[in-house]
Amino acid sequence: MEPAEDWLVESLRLYQDFHAFDLSGATRVLEWIGDKGILVAGYESLKKNEILHLILPLRLSVKENQGLFPERDFKVRHGGFSDRSVFDLKYVPDTRLLVTSGLPGCYLQVWQVAEDSDVIKAVSTIDVHEKEGRLWPRMAIFSSAAPGVLHGARLSSLKVVDLESQKTTYSSGISDDELLSSLQVLDADTFAFCCTSGRLGLVDTRQKWTPSENFRPGSGSAGGRWCAEAGGRGPGPSIASLGSDGQLCLLDPRDLCQPVSLVQCPVSMPSPDPELLRVTWAPGLDNCLAISGFDGTVQVYDVTSWGGMGRQVEPLFTHKGHIFLDGNGMDTAPLVTTHTWHPCKPRTLLSAASDASLHVWDWVDLHAAR
Amino acid sequence: MPEIRVTPLGAGQDVGRSCILVSIAGKNVMLDCGMHMGFSDDRRFPDFSYITRSGRLTDFLDCVIISHFHLDHCGALPYFSEMVGYDGPIYMTQPTQAICPILLEDYRKIAVDKKVVEITKHIHDNRALRYVELLPLSGTVQEPQSTSNAFTPPLTHWLLSPCILIPSACETPGTSPLMLVDDELEIKAYYAGHVLGAAMFQIKVGSESVVYTGDYNMTPDRHLGAAWIDKCRPNLLITESTYATTIRDSKRCRERDFLKKVHETVERGGKVLIPVFALGRAQELCILLETFWERMDLKAPIYFSTGLTEKANHYYKLFIPWTNQKIRKTFVQRNMFEFKHVKAFDRAFADSPGPMVVFATPGMLHAGQSLQIFRKWAGNEKNMVIMPGYCVQGTVGHKILSGQRKLEMEGRQVLEVKMQVEYMSFSAHADAKGIMQLVGQAEPENVLLVHGEAKKMEFLKQKIEQEFRVSCYMPANGETVTLPTSPSIPVGISLGLLKRELAQGLLPDSKKPRLLHGTLIMKDSNFRLVSSEQALKELGLAEHQLRFTCRVHLHDTRKEQETAVRVYSHLKSVLKDHCVQHLPDGSVTVESILIQAAAHSEDPGTKVLLVSWTYQDEELGSYLTSLLKKGLPQAS
Repeated sequence: MEPAEDWLVESLRLYQDFHAFDLSGATRVLEWIGDKGILVAGYESLKKNEILHLILPLRLSVKENQGLFPERDFKVRHGGFSDRSVFDLKYVPDTRLLVTSGLPGCYLQVWQVAEDSDVIKAVSTIDVHEKEGRLWPRMAIFSSAAPGVLHGARLSSLKVVDLESQKTTYSSGISDDELLSSLQVLDADTFAFCCTSGRLGLVDTRQKWTPSENFRPGSGSAGGRWCAEAGGRGPGPSIASLGSDGQLCLLDPRDLCQPVSLVQCPVSMPSPDPELLRVTWAPGLDNCLAISGFDGTVQVYDVTSWGGMGRQVEPLFTHKGHIFLDGNGMDTAPLVTTHTWHPCKPRTLLSAASDASLHVWDWVDLHAAR
Repeated sequence: MPEIRVTPLGAGQDVGRSCILVSIAGKNVMLDCGMHMGFSDDRRFPDFSYITRSGRLTDFLDCVIISHFHLDHCGALPYFSEMVGYDGPIYMTQPTQAICPILLEDYRKIAVDKKVVEITKHIHDNRALRYVELLPLSGTVQEPQSTSNAFTPPLTHWLLSPCILIPSACETPGTSPLMLVDDELEIKAYYAGHVLGAAMFQIKVGSESVVYTGDYNMTPDRHLGAAWIDKCRPNLLITESTYATTIRDSKRCRERDFLKKVHETVERGGKVLIPVFALGRAQELCILLETFWERMDLKAPIYFSTGLTEKANHYYKLFIPWTNQKIRKTFVQRNMFEFKHVKAFDRAFADSPGPMVVFATPGMLHAGQSLQIFRKWAGNEKNMVIMPGYCVQGTVGHKILSGQRKLEMEGRQVLEVKMQVEYMSFSAHADAKGIMQLVGQAEPENVLLVHGEAKKMEFLKQKIEQEFRVSCYMPANGETVTLPTSPSIPVGISLGLLKRELAQGLLPDSKKPRLLHGTLIMKDSNFRLVSSEQALKELGLAEHQLRFTCRVHLHDTRKEQETAVRVYSHLKSVLKDHCVQHLPDGSVTVESILIQAAAHSEDPGTKVLLVSWTYQDEELGSYLTSLLKKGLPQAS
């Protein structure tokens, strides 16, 4: 039997639900619009890329009587074309606007999702004044009555721009030019940043630049490239930082200098493309996070009772679908480009890979079953 | 201006009811003749008044082509032939012809409601399967009350009218041979996958062609292959856009879902009922279960009701050329239904304890064996029924899929449904990706999408236009799209004519135009340009020459010969591009125009120039005359 068939039979036991789709182009972006729609966008450099607004299959959207809905397909609700590659996309809540960032990185593109047709149209740009062509600015959205876009490729170029007036409402105002790997808005006045070196901090925009920061994780750490996400549910540390060699660091926002734990995730090798590293907290489960960007898998961890430094941990669940369902028979194994949790269904995730596959899966917690 | 005109017919912009009128190079073809399952009044038929207003239908249409047996593609045929009166040729594949009438007959018996049937959300969203059962009904469903229903005339008349069968389009490379409707109109079928006997059609007249896809599927499944078309480069490709805005879940995941449900039920000791339509999906699901049972070493019995087996086997033997390679190989080795784990069903088995899986007809649970089994098993929550397709309103299948859990059976008995109800769709349609693939294979000049709302298809239109550099049209029902075409008409020129032109003096520079006289002969789609003499000879006519003569008076006291010389020098210097000659007899020629000088009979001071030319040199002749009338330059 082919390995794919074997895996599919295995999957009966491993997943409650599983859907596999083929997009016309691979995406590095999975951004939610409400809890029924997601946005994906292509990142190829030499051709037009598509930005798609997909509506989740009915079966995944309804809460009751799921069995009565045979619909297992995504619907393309809106689509648009981008001349440049899209590396990040953010939806501006309560509006019909999207902001994308890509290469060349000297501007952000603002889009409008049409109301009376299915077109996503480019409407304006936000200048970023980034001198280096290779860098693309990270983004996060301050959503309010007057939404603002937080953006920057380096600490020194961090700014918040009002979407409507295009006026800069906040600027880091520092000269430190460390490269950023992620930005995240935490509330109306606070955001978190993570640099590629692993340095992370929480910033209050009402004050001059005085973030609470960590020191680089472990003085003897080999470095590598890091990203982070805040947002854990339940008691315990709520910030996770992931390094390209598989190190995972958990921090408490009240004291960033003292990491709660530092563990080594079982990855066969360092990430081949650290820009794709993702660590996300489960919105519907306590102390649960997922990582991807090392290979064709997504790993889910239960971080309860992780303490101390340097220990080895095992994932609660590993999604291998992208490896086994690689129908193209490509020479290179696919690499997971991004993943995200479903906002309402606790164990449902979406993951995308470099072979343009998009999976929606609801894993079974085999430990809980015992 | 030569053009192709396309008009989708139908009363609304909704789906169902495929029926497209194409006018190509003077030929009129109707593609599909479908019915909308959501309506029970006239709205279920396409609007034929568009055609019938212009005279007798049979005279207007050159042929009708049916793509496959789904009722939304062929359901209006009886109405069209019996009530509207078409009795011209109808083209379809053999499986389509065999299965279509059976579906129609059964539908007639189910379609009960005379009041307006609202389009249910299921029809809208699912564009669901639209086929009904093979077996005749018994009992529970009422007959339609009115006899003015379009289906009451027997179907046999329609079957006897010229239904021309298209030979199998299944052998590699997957096309049928060319079929001539008349000496100008040709059609060719391509394998479409989707259901047994489904085909895509190329309609060709001269150098203009249109391809119609019907419903097709670009990914092969377990019993049918995938659609395929060659680089036929039609002027226009017509395809349905119903599924164009979807991205389909993989076949493997659908199968996985089915297996999971069946497995879970069987593991907890429950029974699974799968009501099926005899052909197509049932085989697919059986093969799937058989493979899984083998792999997992499962012991629970799987049954297939016998009526189903016989009919299915019968049809499969007939239509084996229409299934995919794998099936054909297996069929050669063994009987389609000699499974290891799948056995023939006996009604007594329904009462046996323990887990089992049963495939039974009919598929909408409206009568027969599947309904009997359903009634026995419905009360136990450990059991499951998996509905594999769309159910028409009024059937038990439709009721339970709408969420009803208490059903009123005959004799006012109430059946409480505690068993799990699952709805799974196994229909195979091309999605956004598939459509792009097919357009890429065929390389049409233009694309036309039917059955979509223009506002919701703007993105797809842009995508197609950009990717393939073609124009994309999306007409509403009743709207006509006109496509100008520029057919190339090859004309042969006779060698003799060419040679004569070459001999006749100076040639213009290359790429410059040159006026040439000849006769165009059109015979049997053959075009030739020959010299007039040749044409006359072929027609057996004598040639008449037209010659014009004009007199120009010049004041010149010298002798005629000298006048002639003056004329010659003058014309030679002015008409540098033409051949001007002074002949020994004193006359001057310019190309074939003759100029002779003569003395005026009454006035010796005036000379008369006689200018004569043939009809072919009219232009030059007129020019020369006006030139000479201006007078000659004074001799130096």
